Amino acid sequence: MERKKREFFEDLMNFMSSSWNEEASIMQPLYNMVLKPNEVVVTVDLPYVDLNKIEVKAVEDKLEVLAKTKEAICLSKFGLKHRSGEFNCYHIVVQIPVPVDWRRLTYRLKRGILEVHLPRL
Amino acid sequence: MEIRFVERKELIPKKFVLINALPDVGLVGVIAATHLISSLKMKEIAYLDSEVFPPIIVLHEGEPKSPIRILANDSLAILISETAVPAEAIYPLANAIVNWASSKNVEYMISLGGLAVQNRQDIDSPKVFAVLTDKKLMNIVGDSAELMEEGYIVGAYALMIKKCMEIKLPAITLLAQSFFSYPDPEAAAATIKVLNKILNLNVDVSELLQRGEEIRLRAKDIMRRTQAELIKMNKAQEYDLPPLYM
Repeated sequence: MERKKREFFEDLMNFMSSSWNEEASIMQPLYNMVLKPNEVVVTVDLPYVDLNKIEVKAVEDKLEVLAKTKEAICLSKFGLKHRSGEFNCYHIVVQIPVPVDWRRLTYRLKRGILEVHLPRL
Repeated sequence: MEIRFVERKELIPKKFVLINALPDVGLVGVIAATHLISSLKMKEIAYLDSEVFPPIIVLHEGEPKSPIRILANDSLAILISETAVPAEAIYPLANAIVNWASSKNVEYMISLGGLAVQNRQDIDSPKVFAVLTDKKLMNIVGDSAELMEEGYIVGAYALMIKKCMEIKLPAITLLAQSFFSYPDPEAAAATIKVLNKILNLNVDVSELLQRGEEIRLRAKDIMRRTQAELIKMNKAQEYDLPPLYM
């Protein structure tokens, strides 16, 4: 119960906070997770990603995605003068709520969206 | 709670079609409307204000603007929201928009949105479906979109459809197959192609498609906030099988 409360507030704080970490030049991408009877499918939206620099791995019961962009993207590109900084990497850690077979993890990138398939145990 | 339309009366066209572009799945309407407004060089004719909206202004070229506003040319007006509409605001907002459109004697309304599909990644050309308050509107839509015969619509557009039917204001809702959680410029382009046929516009979508990655990045945060509001409205009910017709 305590763990669930903690996770709820962590999710809430993540949601309320900015998705940019200007200090580390990292951005949290949009993602989605669908629980199917046989598998868990996690998708991650990665505009400007360098196709050859995507890392997908398991960290305990979490899925971690690290993906570099083709080039550094500056905030000034969006007309922001009052903030400075750039990002060159996406990073997301997604808690997988059910047991999965991490050894049979597969993924593909299509339309700039990473799709990760995790067969359920 | 009142929603005010602050108008520049001298700029409101005498006779026009109103397009609505509220944040929805895939931000289809907002992305399409932004491209239309830019391509057709529309001017702001009104903005909306209310205590039910979040306390936000948006700055464009140094000028503060309400995030929900209406832009127009001689024959077409577009209502666009640059911020996620809070779930608790959709009832008063939907009613206010339809009442305002009726007071201006619009010819008809077209609302632009998305239809979330799970296999969107495997769809090269998103289809566009039409929801009509009156089947006679198929004369306007023609073969540019497929009539949505069965299913659910959830959200502000559902309320606007109901209100339009009540006051007999003709309304078309165009929904392109799209991602639920990600900005979808391709789906937006598909709705513009339908508008080109319906309204004889000739708006080129190639630049919109070329800028797809930039749009997906820029729209990321409004998509995130919109998704949170859509979840509160039980938007996922659109995936449900329709019940037996009674």
